[in-house]
Amino acid sequence: MTKVSAVSNIDLFADDVLIDPYTTYKALRDQAAVVYLPTNDVYALTRYDTIRSALGDPAAFSSVMAIGFNPGVNEALQGTTLASDPPVHTRLRAALVANLTPIKLRSIEEQIGGRAEALVSKLASTGSFEAIDGLARAFPLEIVANLIGFTGEVRNNMVRWGQAAMEVLGPMNQRTAENFPIAGELYGWCSKVTANDLAPGSVGRGIFDAQERGEIPPDTAGHIIHQFLGAGIDTTMASIGNIIALFGRYPEQFERVRKDPSLVGSAFNEVLRYYAAVHAMGRRTTRAVEIDGATVPAGAQIAILFGAGNRDERHYKNPDEFDVARNPVDHLSFGYGPHSCAGQGLARMEGRAVVLAMAKHVRSFKLGDAVKKLSNTTQSLDKLVVRDVVAA
Amino acid sequence: MSSQPEMRLEVDARRCEGHGLCVATVPQMLHHDQHGTVVIDVEVLTGAALEQAQEAVRVCPVAALRLRPAGV
Repeated sequence: MTKVSAVSNIDLFADDVLIDPYTTYKALRDQAAVVYLPTNDVYALTRYDTIRSALGDPAAFSSVMAIGFNPGVNEALQGTTLASDPPVHTRLRAALVANLTPIKLRSIEEQIGGRAEALVSKLASTGSFEAIDGLARAFPLEIVANLIGFTGEVRNNMVRWGQAAMEVLGPMNQRTAENFPIAGELYGWCSKVTANDLAPGSVGRGIFDAQERGEIPPDTAGHIIHQFLGAGIDTTMASIGNIIALFGRYPEQFERVRKDPSLVGSAFNEVLRYYAAVHAMGRRTTRAVEIDGATVPAGAQIAILFGAGNRDERHYKNPDEFDVARNPVDHLSFGYGPHSCAGQGLARMEGRAVVLAMAKHVRSFKLGDAVKKLSNTTQSLDKLVVRDVVAA
Repeated sequence: MSSQPEMRLEVDARRCEGHGLCVATVPQMLHHDQHGTVVIDVEVLTGAALEQAQEAVRVCPVAALRLRPAGV
């Protein structure tokens, strides 16, 4: 017979949880593979295998009206790749990833590596710098601006807009309410942008050209660009900040990468595993589902805790240890299955480029003040001082 | 088990986006075509080769690879 699921009274989006979610993740994971949270009215998935199975089963775990944790955002996301299920999703996804596959990105890989080296070597030569605005935000912004082909005022707004697009996925708390108008500015720009606003030869311009040629349905170019910017900016910035934070905190691990650059890819996978950029994303059960002996009813709001799965001792040995040689290729930070991060190819290129640039141009450094950014969705630093830099 | 199972590695070309994690894991078993889509280079798998193929299935981020009993 089935039993009711475990229950916890925590608020998944409370400030003290968001400051250090890993304590909460462990408590929930120890409790059960699925834990009902009455405060948020969600069933949280806490263990690696359970999360991976759910992400791989869109028939039972739907994304429609379920990705975010408030009805307003789910309403707004209706019909997008993120919030649809196969078979509709399959067509939308194809249009979204067409310009993001590794083979398409190959032409800019060298440029990405070169820009990372230029930025890191310049910062390293100054002896001390602020790594979030100076590197973690500056670098992906430059890459994405060139890729999509936007400049000027839009570029100045993009960090704010990208943060807001992730923030509004949370429950209707103060952070979500404050960010709805800002996320609306991004949506507004994307719905008005035309081919002529974007640089000739850019991927953004190419998406409009594809629309013109009838390869993608009318009025989808703006939506695709919205997904690029809404999903791809804040998360990449978070992960690049985490590279610096983790190398600073574990200098012996940074030293291993410096001595053996073949560890670059493995090290970035480990950064992603150690700190998932996304706290929680939603799904909705289409039928009653049995998880680890407990029954989750049909129509239940699910919260997938990527970071909890990434630290599951049932899957990773010594999960709280940061080990650059671990190479956890199967980490959950890009999700898994049909909805796994559409921009993961680009994110990997950017992350590896920064790791390699650090390994080549920095001999050693220390960390100063670090400030966490409180967010419903993106787990990132708002400020990180790097000091006593010895350039290589 | 009286005999080792024989399995076949398959790719769902509609799902494959060419992320290349499988090719990095078992380069002897598959490669990218000119569009980046994965092509399987091995026939029936068993033993150690089957274990390696299972690893490739595990690292595919978009669940495009699967193992099926051979002859089915």
